[in-house]
Amino acid sequence: MKNILEVRNLVKNYGSYTAVDDISFDVPKGKVIGFLGPNGAGKTTTIQVLLGITLANGGSIKYFGKDFFKNREDCLQRINYISSFNSLLGRISVYENLIVFANLYSIEKPKKKIQELVEYFEIESLLNKRYFDISSGQRTRVNLIKSLLNGPELILMDEPTASLDPDIADKLLTLIENLRKTKNLSILYTSHDMAEVTRICDEVIFLDKGKIIAKDTPLGLTKRISKAQLKITFDADKNKVEKYLKNEKLNFKFQTKNSVIIDSKEDLIPKLIFTLSKEGVWMTDIEIKKPTLEDFFLQVARKKYG
Amino acid sequence: MVNWSRIKGILVQEYYITKRSLEVLVDLPLFSFIGLILFGFITNFLSISNKTNEPKYLLLGLILWEVIRITQYSMSVEAMWNVWSRNLSNMFVSPLTIWDYFIAQMISSVSKTIIIVLVISVISYFMFSFNLLSVGMLNLLIYFINLTIFAWTTGILILGFIFRFGTRIQSLAWGIIFLFQPLTAAAFPLSVLPKPLQTFALIFPPTYIFEASRQSLNNGSTNWGYVNTAFILNVFYFIIAIVVFYFLFKKSKDTGQFARNEG
Repeated sequence: MKNILEVRNLVKNYGSYTAVDDISFDVPKGKVIGFLGPNGAGKTTTIQVLLGITLANGGSIKYFGKDFFKNREDCLQRINYISSFNSLLGRISVYENLIVFANLYSIEKPKKKIQELVEYFEIESLLNKRYFDISSGQRTRVNLIKSLLNGPELILMDEPTASLDPDIADKLLTLIENLRKTKNLSILYTSHDMAEVTRICDEVIFLDKGKIIAKDTPLGLTKRISKAQLKITFDADKNKVEKYLKNEKLNFKFQTKNSVIIDSKEDLIPKLIFTLSKEGVWMTDIEIKKPTLEDFFLQVARKKYG
Repeated sequence: MVNWSRIKGILVQEYYITKRSLEVLVDLPLFSFIGLILFGFITNFLSISNKTNEPKYLLLGLILWEVIRITQYSMSVEAMWNVWSRNLSNMFVSPLTIWDYFIAQMISSVSKTIIIVLVISVISYFMFSFNLLSVGMLNLLIYFINLTIFAWTTGILILGFIFRFGTRIQSLAWGIIFLFQPLTAAAFPLSVLPKPLQTFALIFPPTYIFEASRQSLNNGSTNWGYVNTAFILNVFYFIIAIVVFYFLFKKSKDTGQFARNEG
């Protein structure tokens, strides 16, 4: 598969502190790659280095097979960026801001291009309003239009849904999903929200202390956590259940005399249910809580992983 | 590589900001106008007892000083609008190059300066009977070019400091240039300054231009010695400013300050 972005052995130091520590990864065409990690993991610094607004101390970055440091203008012409941490100029109108960026990206028919995107994102009524005066959800949509002005092949998105309420965030994610389908966009996406990463990313790169500690599909990452939780509601003698669980050396906790939560390896759950049933425990309800990306994130954040 | 569309983008942005910012309208045309009125009346007052051209040095110095002030202000403060709006890094993740940005700022600042200086010169002619063209058309052009290069030089240096240190040094953007007004003997002969300051003043190109302009006002002559010295110093300082700017810009990107250079 053709790679839009190839990063090799990227290093960024701030004095003695290593923010990005020898990381390598690719973003293939048409794929959404999630960049996850706790605060200070190096996600934003990596994005800034990839955009050329922060200098790397080592490694290489190639967009479309071209060395970024030698072909900055060509590369930036074909990619774009959106972040909840940046704004456009507050004093001037939405339309004026978009005209400025259309010129910065040398768009041939800027008015037509802006009109197309404005219609797609349904923000016609905002065009003459000052950027300052519109809501954060509306600003995000305007920023997204700015990031699509040059018809980019790759968009770097740095927590684009931060500070948005869930409804607006959901709409934005739907827009991103549609864009990806219709324009075959590649996206490098950083977020703290595990649900949205699971929803839109094909692959997740997990960073911690500047290093890549895991790289997999969202499902693949969650599978690395073997433990799941089983909640059983039963109609049987509590002592019988307790004795069995102790014999099996399982972690468990009774919620009531008829319900228990058991920690178990995911693949042992069927056997556990079967054996309990065989022991004559009548189960009236079974609930399995599978590990999520958030569990993986928490494990990393709490330094339990590995 | 320089690209006209990107330069146009910055020029258009500058136009929109100017149009929509009362601050810019106050800082540029209004301050120029107030300065002209003040210096104009002082000139009229001094002219009652002094029938030479000397009182007119004030108006001449003020109008030529405005070339430096407006050009430098325009170059530096435009960057601040982008810093305050957290838009600076947005612009530099586009293919915009630093030379696109410089050239746009140079064009924009000179355009504003020409318009405002033209207007205050006309006002000064009708209100205070002072004709700026009395220094000679060619001389005026030469002085304008030299003062503009000096203003660009300070503008580029201040831009470098803004990129490197952000809003912490924002007052430099509109304040520091006024240090040069007395130091370069803008509105009075260099000989008025104390001796040590005279020597110090001679390291700045505008000092030569202001001196030369006063000579031109008196007899229409061109002091080519002063003009050439000013030009050579201007070229030298401009190159130094570019080198210092690149150093500050690189340092800003190296420390991560440029990416954080917001609000």
